[in-house]
Amino acid sequence: MSTVSTSGAKNPACAILGLIILAALVVFPWFSGPFVLHLAVLTAINIIVVNGLALISRSGQLSLGHAAFMAVGAYVAVILGQRFGLPFFLTSVVGIIASMVVALVLGWIILRLRGVYFVLVTFAFGELVRLVLLDFTDITGGANGITSIAAAEIFGFKFDSRASMYALCAAVALLTTWMLKRLFNRPIGHAIDSVAVNPALAESTGLSVHRLQVFSFVIGCGLAGLGSVLQAHYIGYISPETYNTSISVGLIVMLVIGGRNSVWGPLVGAIVLTPLPELFRGAVQTQHIFYGAALILILRFLPGGLSSLPGVLRKLTGKEAA
Amino acid sequence: MDWSILIAQATVNGLIVGLLYLLMAIGFTLVFGVMRMVNFAHGEFYMLGAFGAYFLTTTLGISFLPALAITFAGAVVFGAAVEWSILKPFRHDELNGMIATIGLAMILQNLALMFFGPDPVSMPSIARGATRLGQIAIPTARIYVVIFALAVLCALYIFLKKSKPGRALRAVVEDFEIASIQGIRSKVYYPLGFGIGVGLAAAAGALMAPLFSVSPFVGAAPLLKAFMVVILGGLGSIPGAAVAGLALGLVESYSSLFLSTSTADMLIFLIVIVMLIVRPKGLLGQGEV
Repeated sequence: MSTVSTSGAKNPACAILGLIILAALVVFPWFSGPFVLHLAVLTAINIIVVNGLALISRSGQLSLGHAAFMAVGAYVAVILGQRFGLPFFLTSVVGIIASMVVALVLGWIILRLRGVYFVLVTFAFGELVRLVLLDFTDITGGANGITSIAAAEIFGFKFDSRASMYALCAAVALLTTWMLKRLFNRPIGHAIDSVAVNPALAESTGLSVHRLQVFSFVIGCGLAGLGSVLQAHYIGYISPETYNTSISVGLIVMLVIGGRNSVWGPLVGAIVLTPLPELFRGAVQTQHIFYGAALILILRFLPGGLSSLPGVLRKLTGKEAA
Repeated sequence: MDWSILIAQATVNGLIVGLLYLLMAIGFTLVFGVMRMVNFAHGEFYMLGAFGAYFLTTTLGISFLPALAITFAGAVVFGAAVEWSILKPFRHDELNGMIATIGLAMILQNLALMFFGPDPVSMPSIARGATRLGQIAIPTARIYVVIFALAVLCALYIFLKKSKPGRALRAVVEDFEIASIQGIRSKVYYPLGFGIGVGLAAAAGALMAPLFSVSPFVGAAPLLKAFMVVILGGLGSIPGAAVAGLALGLVESYSSLFLSTSTADMLIFLIVIVMLIVRPKGLLGQGEV
């Protein structure tokens, strides 16, 4: 698996160049207009959520209900905050844990089965969560959702401006990316990768495929909860439609176009695709047709996603030189 | 109101909806059996079938039965072309194939949105009045739908059991490698299998078009039901899909007597989860979990 990080390690100049580009991308929204800053916050949140999806995908599973776990995290956190006046930090932690517990229960059951069942059940689970949110109007507000969610606040500091919220989200996004990078440099990361590549072989070398996949699923859904808690407190509004299946599909599109096998994939995918709807403003259908076509073309011709592009190009130019 | 009449009415309605699920799920499981591909675009072919029947009958003024036949044949050809041109590299690649069909579904649904617009249209009923069976009143249109659906299923059964290509197709579903050793050409049977699978979805869409409204979004619900049915019946098992499809339709119809629709949907999801714990192979599945 060629990743940007491993090829960068061989070539320090590349790694430094990559870091400079990353730093420039992180810093530049503060020096541009409020609209760019708004897109940057959304991008950072998407990076966190897609990172979760990437972790699940690295263990060889595809979750079509990722948005449902976002919903669990956000709804639990927001309802605790609004009903009981608990502080943001506490409700966020409880919300994330709620996502993880639901993932643990569901994952424990369905991850014993072949991958296809996992996809079908997560898809159905996404619909179920939407129904529950719509149905229990007393608690969830039904189709109207929950409005006027307070801005995030940690130790008395209010993240009520775009600039400060961007700082928080960018920090969390980079932190989760760094943590995944660390994870995949460790034995447990290699174990997760090996489960995806050849489950039977992994099992026969003494790894528990089931446990590793449940682990990835739980942590991945926790990241979904983390991202959606931030999103809820940034946008200030949640509803069942904030987390429908098309959101889950959109996250998969980001992951696949960014690259599934590299820790940089979610980053690249979110940065490229989050601002894209602005280009297609008023032409949502064209945008989705473009997404669909891009998905098929990437799968066909660049299965490693956009983040594998430098490696592929280097190989091509290397061959020409030789 | 008498309970026995209510229950009989619910049974009839359940069987009609069950037939729809059955058609959807058999096509879905056939595609999975042949190509090991979870077809997320299956619901979009249902939608295209519904639009096909709508335009053939209202715009061109063709009567319903030939319209159904044309829709089915068109979907088989279109499906085979799509398989051959787009999905060919993803055969037997479960994960990537699945994602590719998600892309395909996005393209088809949004093309439909561009050409047909988001507003639902309703197709004129294929027959007027109601037929009485004892004390149960059934709209005659629904009876026609049941007859046509059964005819489609009979044709499929004869095709799969008796005809040479049908038997070859079943062999491919059973074991692809041994089938190819026997000289069955995958070049032909992959597009054919996919075409017939999505053709069944289109036929279901065409049959249901006169009963429900038609819009680019109608494919999502039947797709979800097809998922439930194949989990219950066992992925890749055609008899399993038949039994589970009818059972799901009946359960839904009966539970709608006592519960709200969303509670019934939650109940069915729970049944599916319990099923996965107790008998992951499905009702009539044959291993391979």
